[in-house]
Amino acid sequence: MPDAAPSHVFHRRSTVIRRQEAFLAWVLRSATYLVLLSGALLLGNIIWRGSQTVFVPRPPFVNVAFLTQAPESLYMFEYQGKKMELGDQAFRQFKAENHLGDIKAESYVYSAGGIFPCIVGTVLLVVGSMVIALLLGVSAAVYLSEYAKQGRFITMIRLAILNLAGVPSIVFGLFGFGLFVIFLGWNVSLLAGWFTLAFMVLPVIITASEESLKAVPRGFREGSLALGATKWQTIYKNVLPYALPGILTSSILGIARVAGETAPIMFTAAYVVRDKLPWEGLTRWTDFFFQGVMALPYHIYVVSSKIPQNEYTERVQYGSAFVFMLIVALIATTSILLRNKLRKRYKW
Amino acid sequence: MPSASNPAHMENNPAKAVAFPATTDTPAGAVAAPIIDIQDLDFYYGRNRALDGITLQIQEKKVTALIGPSGCGKSTLLRCLNRMNDLIDDTRIGRGTIRIHKVDIYQPDVDVIELRKRVGMVFQKSNPFPKSIYENVTYGLRIAGMNNRGQLDEVVERSLRGAALWDEVKDRLHESGVGLSGGQQQRLCIARAIAVEPEIILMDEPCSALDPIATAKVEELIHELKRTYTIVIVTHNMQQAARVSDRTAFFYLGKLVEYDQTRTIFMKPANPQTEAYVAGRFG
Amino acid sequence: MKRFFDAELETFRSQLILMGETAIEQVRAAVQALVETNPTLAKQVIAADDKLDRLEVEIDDEAVRYMNLRAPIASDLRLVIVGMKASHDLERVGDEATSIAKRAIKLSAEPPLKPYIDLPRMATIALEMLRDALDCFLQVDEARAIAVCKRDAEVDNLNRQLYRELTSFMIEKPETISRAIELMFISKSIERIADHATNIAEEMIYLSHGRDVRHSDELKKPPAPPTGEVSRP
Repeated sequence: MPDAAPSHVFHRRSTVIRRQEAFLAWVLRSATYLVLLSGALLLGNIIWRGSQTVFVPRPPFVNVAFLTQAPESLYMFEYQGKKMELGDQAFRQFKAENHLGDIKAESYVYSAGGIFPCIVGTVLLVVGSMVIALLLGVSAAVYLSEYAKQGRFITMIRLAILNLAGVPSIVFGLFGFGLFVIFLGWNVSLLAGWFTLAFMVLPVIITASEESLKAVPRGFREGSLALGATKWQTIYKNVLPYALPGILTSSILGIARVAGETAPIMFTAAYVVRDKLPWEGLTRWTDFFFQGVMALPYHIYVVSSKIPQNEYTERVQYGSAFVFMLIVALIATTSILLRNKLRKRYKW
Repeated sequence: MPSASNPAHMENNPAKAVAFPATTDTPAGAVAAPIIDIQDLDFYYGRNRALDGITLQIQEKKVTALIGPSGCGKSTLLRCLNRMNDLIDDTRIGRGTIRIHKVDIYQPDVDVIELRKRVGMVFQKSNPFPKSIYENVTYGLRIAGMNNRGQLDEVVERSLRGAALWDEVKDRLHESGVGLSGGQQQRLCIARAIAVEPEIILMDEPCSALDPIATAKVEELIHELKRTYTIVIVTHNMQQAARVSDRTAFFYLGKLVEYDQTRTIFMKPANPQTEAYVAGRFG
Repeated sequence: MKRFFDAELETFRSQLILMGETAIEQVRAAVQALVETNPTLAKQVIAADDKLDRLEVEIDDEAVRYMNLRAPIASDLRLVIVGMKASHDLERVGDEATSIAKRAIKLSAEPPLKPYIDLPRMATIALEMLRDALDCFLQVDEARAIAVCKRDAEVDNLNRQLYRELTSFMIEKPETISRAIELMFISKSIERIADHATNIAEEMIYLSHGRDVRHSDELKKPPAPPTGEVSRP
């Protein structure tokens, strides 16, 4: 464009640089979109396929059976010229009603029924392990950040914690198996699973909590102490509340991890199949903690690799994956809501 | 050198009518007993000696200013008085004592919590807690166990009035303290400090982050407060030290160079270093 | 915003006003002692000079203290500086009054040379000038202060006139020389008092407007004749 006025001190830079800037911006944009696209594809696939199992066209629009029943085998058979699919119990009932005796039927394991025990198991495992992880993790973070004398020893401890974050989850599973299941004699149980999962997620919690505590301005501590508060009073009333939102954020990450890991619970808490729900068949209330459960990630693993694959198992796989994502999203949302409420209350 | 023989009456007392303050008289009465008595104090950060043989007496219900270039030790000394230096790793008293009410505050049976209730502190960067104004002021009392709502209300009003903040915030006590302006925040911190009824208030450059009007308000407040509290103030602002303080101590490189009536320090200091510093010709 | 040290400045002003009143009173009493041939009154005037000397020291001391510790700016600073200078002028006025009183005592031993008409007239003008200059301190009035400066010429003229008269006296009647000389000194004192009043008026202009009019031609010119129409009765 013709430039009538003479060039001035604020004259625009050369076009080469401008083009470079634009190009780089586009590279970064593309990388972001690539990530978003991958995520969308993955999620989209699960949502698409999974919702076919979970949602049904008729009211109540949700496959209640899938969500509230235990897994069963699916029987495919022909009756009076029609192809029929029935779950195990229904099949037996059908046979009894129609006096069929033994008829030829193809069975597909785990392809009928629901995943209710898995849902229950996962929720229990997540809640329990997060409680333990938060208690232990926040306490450790408070100690490291507020009480410990800075020095080589503490630096080494921090390094050890960081290293723990890199340990493969299968190793955690074996560790949990060796310590909780065998050595402490807890057997395959909720307790063993809780502690194993908690230890797995501890490094993230501790590091993030420490960061949150450090982010609280020093002035809060000094101001409180200068008014004659004890150290614990200062931490409890004037530091910890303001670090809570950050701690909860780390816990959201922890939840996703804890809910989804299969290896740690494989040896410590999860059963392939269990016919009793966790609150059934307890002689003492303490037995609740010493029983194993079914879990969604493990169930997905079993359904995907331990049994012959066909279209029916695929339905269950995607349905389970979808439900699993929903549950994690639900717990995470609750956590986020709680965090936002705390943020408003402890705004600084 | 600290001159214990020329105390109180050098300070101007403008409340009296037409007579000028006696400028050359020395009152016949006894010297006011020092409330803080620092004797030959050494203080170390690790291996670094930050205070070297400090001997200083702070008079009761007077404003004492500590002045000196950066790194001279004045803030360190201030933080020794309520043992806030304990919070920093690897610090120690080398030799010497700090006595408040004749008690060595570093002796083993001293409860630091009690000490800090009697020796309050206002910081350079105002640090109101992100709680309501009410909760800020009552913080010190709550942690000491006071729970009675009526009593707390009373203390809140008294403290906010004492900090010249009541009229500005009385209708919004339950709003957050961090929503106030800089000068108001600092006065809130002062209110918070006086709510626990200390005897001594330590101020570490309280006005350095404030604009001139907020500074003037805080200075007026200090002038009022010295009727009830002993105040020790660290300041970089020479005019401020000249305006508000009764006695001034000049520090350099960890040593106390000169300590005297403010008027003397600024008019005819004994030490040429002091003169160079207050005249702005230092360094 | 009212500051706690504002009261110090108020006290300073009050002391200045006190000094001014005292000085005026000294002059008035000294001239009265002369005219009434009252040596007792003259002795009182001499004794009271101490008060003025003390006030000068106090005011100067307080001015230095205030400048040192309060770092005054603008009109506050001008007030303090003017106070120091005016206190000096007023102390000199007091000294002149004392000198008049001393000579009045000497003159009271002999009969008066002639009825005192001119000296009291000069003294009245000088006192009015002092009064006007000091009133400008209480209420800023530049016109009034300038008028004081211009009135100095009147006193100077009267002084010269008296010199001529007394010189004639001395030539005609040599026995009156000692008394005439005393009167000439007294006249000189009054002329000096008027000069000090002029100084104070110039200082007041500086105080109120920040303009230094000392030694400038502005005030040395005679007052301009009125240019307006004169309305005839």
